[in-house]
Amino acid sequence: MIVTYNWLKEFVDFDFSAQELCDRLTMAGLEVDSMVEIGGELDSVIVAKLEAVERHPDADRLTVCQVNNGTDVVQVVCGATNHKAGDLIALAQPGSLLPGDFKIKKSKIRGQESAGMLCSEKELGLAEESEGILILPADLPLGRPVFEALGLKDYQIEIGLTPNRPDCLSVVGVAREVAAFAGKPVQLPQVAVAESGVKIDEKTSILIENERACPRYAARMIDAVRIGPSPDWLVRRLDAVGMRSINNVVDVTNYVMMELGHPLHAFDFTNLEQGRIVVKSAQQGAKFTTLDDQEHVLTADDLMICDGVKPVALAGVMGGLNSEVQDTTATILLEAAYFEATGIRRTSKRFGLHTEASHRFERGADIDMVPVALDRAASLIAELSGGAVLQGVIDNYPAALKTPVLSLGVARTCQLLDIQLDAEGIAALLTGIGLVVETLDAERLQVTVPSFRPDLEREIDLIEEVARLYGYSRIPVTMPGGAIDAKLPPKKQRVQKALRHLMASSGFSEAMNYSFIAREALRKIGLAEGDPRLSLIGILNPLSEDQAVMRTSHVPSLLETVARNLNYRSLDLRLFELRPVFTSAENGAIVEKLTLSAVMTGRRQPEGWCQSSEAVDFYDIKGVVETLLSELKIGGVAFSAEATQPYLHPGKSCQLFSGEKSLGFFGEVHPQVTANFEIDQTVYLLEIDVETLVGLAADETKYKQLSKFPDMSRDSALLLDATIDAAQVLDIVSSSKAKLIESVTIFDVYTGQGIPAGKKSLALRIRYRDLDKTLTEEEVSKAHNKVINSICHQLAAEIR
Amino acid sequence: MKEKIQQLQRDALATLQNAASLKELQDVRVTILGKKSTLTEIMKGMRDLSPEERPQIGSLVNSFKEEFERSFAERQRLLQQEAIAVKLASEKIDVTLPGRCSARGSLHPVTLVTEEISDIFSRLGFSVEEGPEIEQDFYNFEALNIPKDHPARDMQDTFYISDDLVLRTHTSPVQIRTMLKSPPPVRIIAPGTVYRRDSDLTHSPMFHQIEGFLVDENVTFGDLKGILTHFLNEFFGEGLSVRFRPSFFPFTEPSAEVDIACVICGGKGCRVCSNTGWLEILGCGMIDPAVFASVNYDSEKYSGFAFGMGLERIAMLKYGVNDLRLFFENDLRFLKQF
Repeated sequence: MIVTYNWLKEFVDFDFSAQELCDRLTMAGLEVDSMVEIGGELDSVIVAKLEAVERHPDADRLTVCQVNNGTDVVQVVCGATNHKAGDLIALAQPGSLLPGDFKIKKSKIRGQESAGMLCSEKELGLAEESEGILILPADLPLGRPVFEALGLKDYQIEIGLTPNRPDCLSVVGVAREVAAFAGKPVQLPQVAVAESGVKIDEKTSILIENERACPRYAARMIDAVRIGPSPDWLVRRLDAVGMRSINNVVDVTNYVMMELGHPLHAFDFTNLEQGRIVVKSAQQGAKFTTLDDQEHVLTADDLMICDGVKPVALAGVMGGLNSEVQDTTATILLEAAYFEATGIRRTSKRFGLHTEASHRFERGADIDMVPVALDRAASLIAELSGGAVLQGVIDNYPAALKTPVLSLGVARTCQLLDIQLDAEGIAALLTGIGLVVETLDAERLQVTVPSFRPDLEREIDLIEEVARLYGYSRIPVTMPGGAIDAKLPPKKQRVQKALRHLMASSGFSEAMNYSFIAREALRKIGLAEGDPRLSLIGILNPLSEDQAVMRTSHVPSLLETVARNLNYRSLDLRLFELRPVFTSAENGAIVEKLTLSAVMTGRRQPEGWCQSSEAVDFYDIKGVVETLLSELKIGGVAFSAEATQPYLHPGKSCQLFSGEKSLGFFGEVHPQVTANFEIDQTVYLLEIDVETLVGLAADETKYKQLSKFPDMSRDSALLLDATIDAAQVLDIVSSSKAKLIESVTIFDVYTGQGIPAGKKSLALRIRYRDLDKTLTEEEVSKAHNKVINSICHQLAAEIR
Repeated sequence: MKEKIQQLQRDALATLQNAASLKELQDVRVTILGKKSTLTEIMKGMRDLSPEERPQIGSLVNSFKEEFERSFAERQRLLQQEAIAVKLASEKIDVTLPGRCSARGSLHPVTLVTEEISDIFSRLGFSVEEGPEIEQDFYNFEALNIPKDHPARDMQDTFYISDDLVLRTHTSPVQIRTMLKSPPPVRIIAPGTVYRRDSDLTHSPMFHQIEGFLVDENVTFGDLKGILTHFLNEFFGEGLSVRFRPSFFPFTEPSAEVDIACVICGGKGCRVCSNTGWLEILGCGMIDPAVFASVNYDSEKYSGFAFGMGLERIAMLKYGVNDLRLFFENDLRFLKQF
């Protein structure tokens, strides 16, 4: 909503500067988004007096003027003919920038110095057309900016209104608020309609068929109008509040809407068949063309203004092309009506027609303003178009809307706001914004809400008004009492936080990708037909095709992130995301599965003079997984190379199992998939189901006693079939009941020279220690031989 | 014999002082105290002495040994120090070369501010709750006093999954879910991802909010001001100017926007605060009785407040980030700065 400083002043006599006014409005809940000075850029166009006017010696059509600017007399050459010595004129001094980017400079015109320009109204943007230069009233002070001296200086104030305040969608509405905090009365425009000619009901009639959707419909008729341009003051004012001038009739309806807040519509009466108005619901499927030349297919839910035969306007939203005021229009039927809010909103949404009128009606117009706005507009139209308002008004208002009467508790108000006010104090505040307050007793007020405040429906709405008018800044700053029942965060939150920090300390940076991706993105990671991750949850109204479905996997977005970073020449990447994926269960329910995903590629260590430049490999990402599991105290996880993911390298990836439960996957990304994302280096990826992880994470740590006695290690190199996994060897070690074993490490894996084809060498170091005594060589050898023999026996291994 | 020992002692101590290295020093020791040394000879000859002489000479030998050992140790310490000094002098490295390090990771700035805000509120007794990102219309709108066909719905452009399912437009549905399952008193914060159908320089279709609410008996607007002023001072620094001004949210009444003195210009006016000196930082208000009604809380007995803020905005102000899009581009050069 845009208002101007001067326009507000017409209704309230306040003393604030423009900046003060804006600050006060903001603190009253009408947040000022911007304030722009109108004519401020023309401050260097000043009032000056022509001391002498002489003909230019070398040009018949030019004059050379001696101009008194209040301090000096300067010479200006002028091409106009309507000026004479002694006139006050508007002098644009050198450096002025006139509308249309016209810069004024000191110059010589046919050999004569000219220090500026004498301006016309058109050049100052004060009129569309003008002849000669502007001759100012003789009593203006020399040297003052012309706009200021003429009282044309104004401020355009744009207010970001909240949807609960339709009453402030007008200058008068904002003025009411200003009046409240300025402590001054509001003066509404006085309207007296000069009527003539026949009575209106001899010419037309109004029938409301749908009274629920249209509780009130009033009309006046104006005859013998001449459609033409609006006067400059009206054009300027509409321009100041962001509206374009159309013609003198349409401009008046817009002006009154901005002034009083009530939308109006003018019909060309000759286009109304049978000369009458019927308000009724549309016929389902009927077509209607609004005056923006758009055709709409109507529904039975749309309310239409019709003549005796056909629809002529989409009620409360936009008029029809078939009854628009045109240059030839001579008789006008002027509509002022009130429409039910939600119906207007549905129609406006349905057709995507958001207009000044629908904006006001769907937020709640003022039903009592109907006759006022009608009279105000009728008299202005008559005045500006030379027309005559017919006698009488039709005001069809079958069932007067009830005025809400609310009860307001004094103690409740003071308690909730933590303020001390008595009944009178509260009443004084509410009276200031036009509410009618009756004090029932010291404890209770009865408040009658005027029709312009449809937002005030409940006691709490009044309490808010009290708080607003009292001033939020005067409410004390306190701390709540009451018991605090703050428990530790639940395990899921603690594990999430731990995971984030563990990933960061493992060198990964946290990424956040959009939850929506392109439908095709999942094809790029090679998911097979029938994969549940291809059952996508679509967005009905996506912003673009790239953001059309909720992601069922982080993999496409993470690989895109990798590709983007590689393009930025960040070649050593470790990124993770801990966010949900969105899948549909078989019963159609939506499941948000919290997932940890990570990618790594590039060098293992940061580049540096003493750093290795080796690239990361499978065992780096596996190390990350093992760190996570160990930090969360999850034991007994199996790494299975069977059945991994189509987007992972079949020989360098695995699935994590805890018993039967799958925890996730990790491994090298399939080269075809990296190619699909135009990534030309090897990428490793992990995906872990966080919910399952949370279920397995152990909360408790149990201390194991330390031995005071020395350890003893034994190394053995075993020759095994190449197909035997390390896990098989380690399983035998850990399942052997030798309780003396403290730890086992694989310290070398070797194939090549000296090892027969199809075999590999695995070197084990087993460390033995006893809690209660120093072990003897014999005890250790016995235990070690037993373990090694058992490996040799079970896996057909040989000792090298 | 006595003179012999005394002469030996003089010679031995002089040799010790002349030893130039630890090796030479060791050799001296062997020469003086070893099996073939003069001293050993003397000791061997002791059995031939008279019983009167024997203790005298014995004591002389002992004191010589003690004296020798003391001098030896002293000389040894000196030589060791010299040796270390020589070694140190030859081992100078360039300490300005960078150290050996492993890859360094980082948390997203939104995570960092979420954790910091959660910490502040947890000290005030608030617990963290979460809710789904695909939300039912009821929780996202209806129960929050935002009926269908109401202009308040225009405040939040919504992504729809179906007629009844939306991508939550705010974290406020967590209020409803929490209050439906726990009776008052409650003190909750709820950080999370939210979505609005809006994308330009200053709007991202996905962003993050943190919601907070407190319900108990006798909670006042003053308490709302107290908690939020405390929070803002903890987060942005003591002495920060904070102002509350009237606004509108369907689920709170009275509602307020909270501004802080611009953290960029200190309130003097700059581009970031559009020359107002103030920055809008969060929205809040007393929970509307209509919301209490939809969760079966008795609004005659209980009152409460709720607040919500955009985490990207908070992070932008805290870290001086000037482009919202950076938060979701995941450029490593950006992420590594946090």
